[in-house]
Amino acid sequence: MSQSSVELEPPPTVTEVTAGPIAPPTRIAGGTTRRNFFRAGAAAVAVGSAGALAIVPRSGPRRPPGDPMLPTPAPVEPPATSGETWGSREVRLARRVTMGLTPEEVQLARTKGFSGYLDYHLNYTAIDDAAAQAFVATTYPQLVMTGAELYALDATAVLRQLQEATLFRAAFSKRQLYERMVEFWTDHFSISMRDVGYLKTLDDRDVIRKHALGNFPDMVRASARSTAMLVYLDNNTSRVGRINENYARELMELHTLGVDGGYTQADVVAVARAFTGWTIAGRGDFRFDATGHDYTAKTFLGQTIPAAPGTGAAGIGDGDKVIDFLVKHPNTAKYVSSKMIRWLLQYDPPAALVDKVAAVYLQTDGNIPSMIRAILTPDSIAAAPPKHKRPFHFVASALRGVNPTVKGVAGIANSRLSLVGQQSFVWETPDGYPDNVQFWSGLVMNRWNFGDYLTALTTGDVIVDIAPFRLVDTPDGITASINNAMFGGEMPTKTRDAIKSYLGATALSSTRVREALALAINSTTFQWY
Amino acid sequence: MHESDNNACTEYNELSRRQFVTWSAGAALLATFVPPWLPKVVLAESYAANRDVIISIFMRGGADGLTLCAPFADPEYYTGRPTIAIPRPDSSSANKGIALDDRFAFPQAMSALVESFTAKDLLVVHGTGSVDSSRSHFDQQHFIEVGKPRDPTIVTGWLGRHLASTTPMRTNAPLRALGIANGLAQTLIGAPQALPIPSPANFGLVGNPATRQERTDWLKNDYLGTIDPVRSAAIDTSATMDLLKTINFAGYAPANGAVYPTGSFGASLRSAAALIKADIGVEAIQVDVGGWDTHSTQAPLTGSMFNTMTGFAGALGALYKDLIAVGAHSVTVVVVSEFGRNVRENGSMGTDHGRGNCMFVMGKNIAGGKVMTRNWTSLARENLESGNDLKVTIDHRDILAEIVKNRLTNDKLSFVFPDFVPTMRGATE
Repeated sequence: MSQSSVELEPPPTVTEVTAGPIAPPTRIAGGTTRRNFFRAGAAAVAVGSAGALAIVPRSGPRRPPGDPMLPTPAPVEPPATSGETWGSREVRLARRVTMGLTPEEVQLARTKGFSGYLDYHLNYTAIDDAAAQAFVATTYPQLVMTGAELYALDATAVLRQLQEATLFRAAFSKRQLYERMVEFWTDHFSISMRDVGYLKTLDDRDVIRKHALGNFPDMVRASARSTAMLVYLDNNTSRVGRINENYARELMELHTLGVDGGYTQADVVAVARAFTGWTIAGRGDFRFDATGHDYTAKTFLGQTIPAAPGTGAAGIGDGDKVIDFLVKHPNTAKYVSSKMIRWLLQYDPPAALVDKVAAVYLQTDGNIPSMIRAILTPDSIAAAPPKHKRPFHFVASALRGVNPTVKGVAGIANSRLSLVGQQSFVWETPDGYPDNVQFWSGLVMNRWNFGDYLTALTTGDVIVDIAPFRLVDTPDGITASINNAMFGGEMPTKTRDAIKSYLGATALSSTRVREALALAINSTTFQWY
Repeated sequence: MHESDNNACTEYNELSRRQFVTWSAGAALLATFVPPWLPKVVLAESYAANRDVIISIFMRGGADGLTLCAPFADPEYYTGRPTIAIPRPDSSSANKGIALDDRFAFPQAMSALVESFTAKDLLVVHGTGSVDSSRSHFDQQHFIEVGKPRDPTIVTGWLGRHLASTTPMRTNAPLRALGIANGLAQTLIGAPQALPIPSPANFGLVGNPATRQERTDWLKNDYLGTIDPVRSAAIDTSATMDLLKTINFAGYAPANGAVYPTGSFGASLRSAAALIKADIGVEAIQVDVGGWDTHSTQAPLTGSMFNTMTGFAGALGALYKDLIAVGAHSVTVVVVSEFGRNVRENGSMGTDHGRGNCMFVMGKNIAGGKVMTRNWTSLARENLESGNDLKVTIDHRDILAEIVKNRLTNDKLSFVFPDFVPTMRGATE
């Protein structure tokens, strides 16, 4: 494999669609807040509308911005063309822990069995990923650079390289569950690269990827010292006497306790004071500026951090104490568990499962693999309705499905992902790309056109070879190949018949086969996992 | 395309690329479908007579209002801008301004808008903007589009909420609103039946044209089997494809001798006019026009900004002739930008991010033919915000709210503009 050459693509388009609404992440058991009500009502507006962009408030004061004139939401149920044909629990698990089925993953799942296959993915460092690692090392050399080295480079090139590496790894790394969790934590600790530039490359490496299948409290601690986060949420300018509350609020609202986690504005101020002086130095180095720290006593959530005048560098302990308290809080356990269940299993996490996973969190000090084991069980997988692939997931799964020859993914990671609405690292607000179906369902046409675009690639950085689909060169044979390559052999009969019918009875042109492949990618059943 | 942004700030270049829309290939294909550009199928209902169709235009990048509508009577204007001012209308310059009254002038590049101004169908409101003082493109675009600054709970757009709080003008319209862009602008977020359609003439599947219909039908049929909201979105998408297919955009003949410029903005407004005349139930169209982030070599008389303004005014002037002057369709056009630019030019013959700006409102029932101001003062440093910028003396929401109330006949102003009590400035008749 060689260094990628940049495809001659239309310039990346960054859609407004991606800038705004948030993930309505979790429904904490125990009540509907006004905010949740508005969110749910908003979802209903999207139902039945082509715009289908949920009216959801971002983080902030809990007040619906206007008349609650919105109708009752319809529950999200499994699509008729998906779940009913999904027989095997192992293959269902493979759908959840990968970025898209391939024959190899299906074979692994069937061979290793449910728990063996899950163990295999959780023990990710043991998975031989040499091919993908070598490609990444050669093609994306910035990923291992220091802040000073990255600083010297063109900002757009730095953004592009991280975006491309992220898509490449998502599609082609064998450590698929790890990549799924990298995407999850990227949204949980979302940082817009437009605001922080190369610092996000450091954050991606030293916070997200380092801890994606580690311990949650470690990730929070690393994130709090991440210069990207310090800049993104303004803590780098928060000093005694003129605090900036941004990080303190999001630390509690988005990273740990959750919006309904029981803190007040006074707690936000106290936490912000505890983090005064946490700032940056040089090119991406964390620094505690003792002269900017507020050494007076703070009380938050019933905890008191005593005054410690003149203790200099030890003042950093205030922020660490806050984190220690927050990561052990039962509401953090619930919030993070609920969000992980939503990500890995289903949009509406069952209350009993949230409690169970939260208990695991508290017992294991936030051990992420242990939580995943509690979430992904044969019974929970069997009962979970399909989820809708977000655009990034859809694109990665299509790439996996067609198994192309790849020299680089520049065109797809930049302009194509932008067209479907989910370029990596450009979501502007700290809540991350939404994990719901309402927000994403409006850009149907753009998805359809991605399938057509991808399957037509016969030259350039990505080349789709259809010969493997034509080993048995009949409509039946080709349909069966597509089914095995991308659907785990569980394509609904209706879809199979429709693809066969599209292929027709006469001599097959390669164009026709490519179009059938595109229809399979664009089919509704491929949009769910 | 003329909207080149070579002199814009880096962060902005990334953003502004999205505004380019294509207008090319599929037009030829569509020409083979239906000879007349009007749809064959005329839907049962007609437009509600009392509500205008709105075209909302956002000038991305922070357009320089002191060039678009130059305060030529103020010597301070010329002091602050030794190289980039619009010459006085009574000067001998070939590039002299076109007087709108005894204070303000259009540059020559905006001459295509004179007809509508003279006919009292174009209102210029000067000194408008957001009450928030941010000079960030992203913040201010966001604040203006959502209709309230610094409230993170609001992400729906003012126009989206207008549509969400009114019954459709046509109950069976699959498409009430569209953004002529790759993604739906924040302004329209929250609108029911709203789609981003970068090129209405080409809204459909890419790939082999010969199989496009077959593939479309395959997908439409396939998605009938899925669930909402994906199912609805797919149905609306395919219905919109069918609807737009009935309009022969390529053969569209503008009325009244109007000629749309060939740039992307001209193409977008031409599509907008065709859509409105086709009477398919579209109530709101959002269009972006870029190229306004003029940090260096602004060149309003001959170069970069001259070309941007010529494309902008030419398209809007054509729309006026085609759609508004003839009075066949009731349309209101509103044009905003996120902020104006510094009163004083910078060292690169450009201007940096400022505050107060002008906006434009066009329509038969707009109180046009004047430049509306409030407490306008000379541009002497002591009168400026931070010593640099035209003050915001009219909240842009005053103007937008008046349009929503009087031209879009929607009384739910507290929903469209939360926590804001607009002052009616007399923008409408």
